[in-house]
Order: sequence, then C-alpha cells, then structure tokens
Amino acid sequence: MFKAMLLKECILVLRDKHALAALFIMPSLFILIMSVALKDTFNESRPLLHYGIVDQDDSTASRQLRGFLSAGTTLVYHDNVPDSPARQHQLLQGKLQLIVTIPSGFAAQLALSSSVSLLRLDVAADIKPEILTVFKARLATDVLRLRLATMEKDLAPFVPDVAERLKELDYSGKGLVNVYYSSAHGNAKPSSTQQSVPSWIVFGMFFVIIPLSTVFINERRQNTLKRMAAMNISIPLLFAGKLIPYVIINQLQMALMVGVGVFVVPLLGAPALTPGHSVVALGMVSLGLSLAAIGTSLLIAVLAATIEQATTVGGLVNILFGAIGGVMVPKFYMPPEMQSFSVVSPMSWGLEGFLDVFLRGLGPGAVLTETLALVFFGMVMLILAGGVLHFQMKRGI
Amino acid sequence: MIVIKGLVKRYGSLLALDHLDLQVGRGMILGLLGPNGAGKTTLVSVLNGLTGFQQGRIEIFGLPLADNICEIRSRSAYIPQSLALYESLTVLENLQFFSSLLRLSQKRRRRNLDHAIGVNRLEKMLDRRVSLLSGGQKQRLNIGIGLLNDPELLYFDEPTAGIDPELRNDILDSITTLAGGGKTVIYTSHYLPEIEKICDQAAIIHKGKILRQGDLAAMLAHKNRNNAVVELAGKLPELPVVKAVGRACHLERLDDTTLLIEDATADNMAEILRLLERQEIGVRQIRYGAASLESLYLRIIAGDKNV
Repeated sequence: MFKAMLLKECILVLRDKHALAALFIMPSLFILIMSVALKDTFNESRPLLHYGIVDQDDSTASRQLRGFLSAGTTLVYHDNVPDSPARQHQLLQGKLQLIVTIPSGFAAQLALSSSVSLLRLDVAADIKPEILTVFKARLATDVLRLRLATMEKDLAPFVPDVAERLKELDYSGKGLVNVYYSSAHGNAKPSSTQQSVPSWIVFGMFFVIIPLSTVFINERRQNTLKRMAAMNISIPLLFAGKLIPYVIINQLQMALMVGVGVFVVPLLGAPALTPGHSVVALGMVSLGLSLAAIGTSLLIAVLAATIEQATTVGGLVNILFGAIGGVMVPKFYMPPEMQSFSVVSPMSWGLEGFLDVFLRGLGPGAVLTETLALVFFGMVMLILAGGVLHFQMKRGI
Repeated sequence: MIVIKGLVKRYGSLLALDHLDLQVGRGMILGLLGPNGAGKTTLVSVLNGLTGFQQGRIEIFGLPLADNICEIRSRSAYIPQSLALYESLTVLENLQFFSSLLRLSQKRRRRNLDHAIGVNRLEKMLDRRVSLLSGGQKQRLNIGIGLLNDPELLYFDEPTAGIDPELRNDILDSITTLAGGGKTVIYTSHYLPEIEKICDQAAIIHKGKILRQGDLAAMLAHKNRNNAVVELAGKLPELPVVKAVGRACHLERLDDTTLLIEDATADNMAEILRLLERQEIGVRQIRYGAASLESLYLRIIAGDKNV
C-alpha cells in the first residue's frame, strides 16, 4: 500500500514539467547565476576604488608619491587627470570616485612639519565611508613612507645601519599579517560559491510547495482524497505517502545542486564548492530541512482553496522566509537587530546547518541544534495540517 | 442491509439531515432523489463514514456504523460524483494504485482487477493516460475503481452527470448487471428516467428528510396515466388561469413555472396552450408519458403528500 503511494507521487511529479522546472532547474540556475554574479565579493584583489591624481607640484617627492600610490590592484590609479575643477567634477560623477591633488610646494611642505595639510581630496558624493577611510589610511601610509625615505637619506651619512633598516621596510603589508577565517575548514578562504550554494539549496527545497499543493488540491477537488478515505486510508498514512517521496525529491535536489556547485560553477569562472567532509551532518540538516519544507507545504496546501492560492501564498512564504533567513542577503550583511530577527525563519536554521557543513567543515554535533529545530518545526506544521484536514473532511469540505 | 433511524446531521446551524429514516434491503437498487441541497451527498458521506453525525442509529451489514467503520468500508465502495482519478496516470496505473490501497490477497486483488477491467470494458485503454480519455471512458474507469474490492454495497453519486446518452445507457446497464450479481446499490441522480429504468425502489429526500420511500412500481402504479409536464417560459399568474383550464382536465401547478397535466389528451393540451397564449405565457418544453416519476417527485417536493 505504502509503496504504491510512493510510486504514485513520484510518477505525478515526474510527469509534471512545471514541477520539475521549479524543483531542479530553477535552483540550479540560481546557484550558477549568484555564484558567478558574486564571485568577486570575497576576492581581496578586486578593484575597490578608481581615483585620479593631479600633480601640481611635479617634484621628485610628488613623483615618488605617485609611484607609491600606483602600486596595488584594489585602489586603481588613473593618471593625467586634467587640472580643471569643472572637468574634475565631471569625472567624479562618472568613472572616478576620488581625486587626489598634490599642490605645488608639496615637497617643501613635506620636510617642514607633520601637522600641515599636504594633500587635497575631492570625493564623489556617493562614496562609501569605509572606502574613504581605507583610502585615507593608504594615503597616510604612503606620505609616511615618503617622509621616512627623506629621513633615510638624511640619516645615511651619520647612522648608515638605521638608514639601511629603514630602506628594507616592507610597506605592502604582505606577510606582515596572517589572516585566519573564523571556523573555516582548513582555513580555506570563503568564496561566493561556498556562500550561495547552501542558500539556494535551502530555497530550492522549499519549492516542493508547487508540486505538492498541485497534487493535493487536485486530489481534494476531484474527490480522490474522499475516495481514499472511503478505502480506510487515514490522514497520517496519507501524509506519510506524501512525506517520503518529497524527502527523496529534496535529497535529489540537494545532490544536484551540490554537483552544480562542485562541477559546473567552476566552468563559469567562479570558485568550486568544497562540500565539507561530513556526509552524516549534511544528511541530518537536509532531512530536517526537508521535513520543515514539506510540513509547511502541506499546511499551505490544506488551507488553500485553489492551486493558484497555494502557489501564490507558498511563493510568498518562501520569499519571506528566504529574505529573513539570510538566503537572499547573507546574514553578515544585515544589521545586528536583523540578524537576531532572522532566527524566526526555518530557512535560517537550515542555512546555518549547511554553512556549518560546507563552509566551516563541522560535523554532526555542530548541526544537531539546527536539525532538531527543523524537525520540531516540521512536525508542528504536519500536525496542524492534519488537524485542519481532519476538520475539513468531517465538515465535508 | 442498511437501517437508518432518526439520523440527524448538522453543519453548524444548518440542519442537513433531519431525523431521517431509511431501510435498504440486500440486492436492491435504491434511487435517492432530491433537489440540490436536499441532503443526498451528505447522506452518502455519512454512510461512508466520511463525515460524522450528531444523532441517530445506522446499521450496515447488521453492524453499527460508528464501531465498525473499517469493516463496513472494506465491504462497500463509494463512487463519487466527480471523477476521482489521477489524470496524469494511465488507466492501469490508476487501477493498480487504488487496488493496492485495499487489504486483499494478491490473488483476490488480481481477480478483482480483471473483473473491474472486464465489466467496464477498459481493456483497450489500459495504457492511455486518463487526461486523454473521453468523459464516458473516465466514468467507466471511475466505476471500475469502485469495484476493486468486490463490494457488496455500492454508492453511486450521480455517475452519469455530463455524459452523452449512449454512454449513459452503457453505464446504467453496467450498474444493472452489478445489481444482478447480488450487489446492493444506492444511486443518486437528477435524471429521473434513469431511476425509473434501473431502480427497484426510490426514496425522495427533501430538506434532509425522506418524504417517500417505496417500491418504484407500486409508487407509480396508481398514477400511470397520460401525464404531461409543461415548463413555462415565465411565471404562471395566480390561480385564474389554472381554474379556467381545470374544467377541461386535472391540472396542477407544481411550482411557479411548472404545470402538471393529467389525462393530457390532444384536445386538453390544445385548450391549455390557447389559454397560455392568451395570457402571453410562453412554453419552454412539454414532456409526455415518461414524466410519471417526475410528476410524482415534483408533487411530493411541492408538498402534496396525498398522492
């Protein structure tokens, strides 16, 4: 009996092209698009800022400063900026975010005092404050470097060993600081794929609402539910007959999306997914998430009068859960209050579980809390759906 | 087979079944007649244990319904009004799916499946998807699924609704054959000629009560005259028209737009039509002869209990 119910659900889904598209193609495309679109988010050498320099001093010191500034790839240097305020204003509204003016007399001022303003910065109105802070720090470092170079020359005849040590100073910062990514597996650097694959797996799994509600509402509308009830099929058995095939479908979705992350995403130039090393932990989160998604879908299907209602409400619930739970906007981009609020979404628990596995390389112990929360949520949804359906059937709805 | 005493079913404040009494004997085909909202589907749902009831006693196969629902369901079948099928599955997949829900031995399951296929002539369409079948073919499958447990008691809820006359006759023949095999059938329908054709008994239900139940032949015997039912295009004015015609033959107003004429000879009908024309009342339809059950039904529903 149970085998027949499983088989029936599987055939119905396999013969529904729209359901297959929603369950398998849409989330895979999301993963591809988002991984490629965000591939530079975690790249430290990507350009942060385009800026220009106007050198009114044209001295050895100013040329040296320009040389220092032109090193590196994150702050992109543009030479030959015209010395006209109107033209500069135009540039700041277009391709440049910032213009550094080295005024005439810069070299002379440099030797005098550290408290005198040496440079002028013109910035675009929409420049991000943190970028401005980074650039000012960079400018201060390069001016300091210039002053030390001057000092080095002055000191060389008297204390040559100090001058030599000053000359050997590394201003690039490379090797000066070691970066450790918190809880990351093998200190692997996080990538856009590592962030986006778990998000879209979670989101995709909740899309079982579309085939599940379509089949369920058709069964109710065409009285196949009544017929099954008249054949002694209880509500728990009916739900079990839906739960298991959709759990299998969810696991297939996850396998497909992990496969896309590992094998297809790198073909498009984004980093490949590292799937972690705990299959058990992955299975725990995935099963918990599946139960939560199917429970929610069944409750919506039972409450909705038509397929249109179910798919609209289901889609809306998915988007809300996703937006709150950090699927669409990673939680670390959210303000602290929003991050605290995100725990109300079951997608957030599933996402944290998957991040524990994929990103942090953790095992079953780490995902137990999230898994139990998801299972509890799923059971509550199933019990509510069963209660509503029982009431509806008794009322002859 | 079925004994119902004082059955009361309420949906909130709405009284759907009002102290209903009914008895159905083994091997009988009972036609359950009543207008929309009379309580036919509610009664069938209660008998299948699909909905509960507040008061009364129901025994099926000599077993109280409330305590033996699983046993009773396993020996009966409900064939719903709408086609309770999976459109994406083939005919055979539908039959196999519903068959597998029944607690039967493999041998019995196979035998019943073959019987359901044979009786409903489904052999040539087993591999076709239900969505590609005609309405009549779907209904045959719908009935076939009902036979998968080889039930002693079948509930048909308007099985011929929306089906062309030829297929309707096919389905009625199948039901008659089933009843001939000793099965008991409860048949609800709006098509009164169907009830006349296949049923042994009729029960007229209105506002949740059985107004009349009995042997169909006996019910019709003393009214088996040359009746006609005239459906009017507009509302019939008050009694003057009726009285004027009433001198020529026995005529009754069943409702605002329906007249029942007994002894509807050609002269009487011509006189009635002239009178209606004078009153500028159009005639939509006149049904002769076979309207015997219909006239009885309409009169009972209209409140005439002295028929």
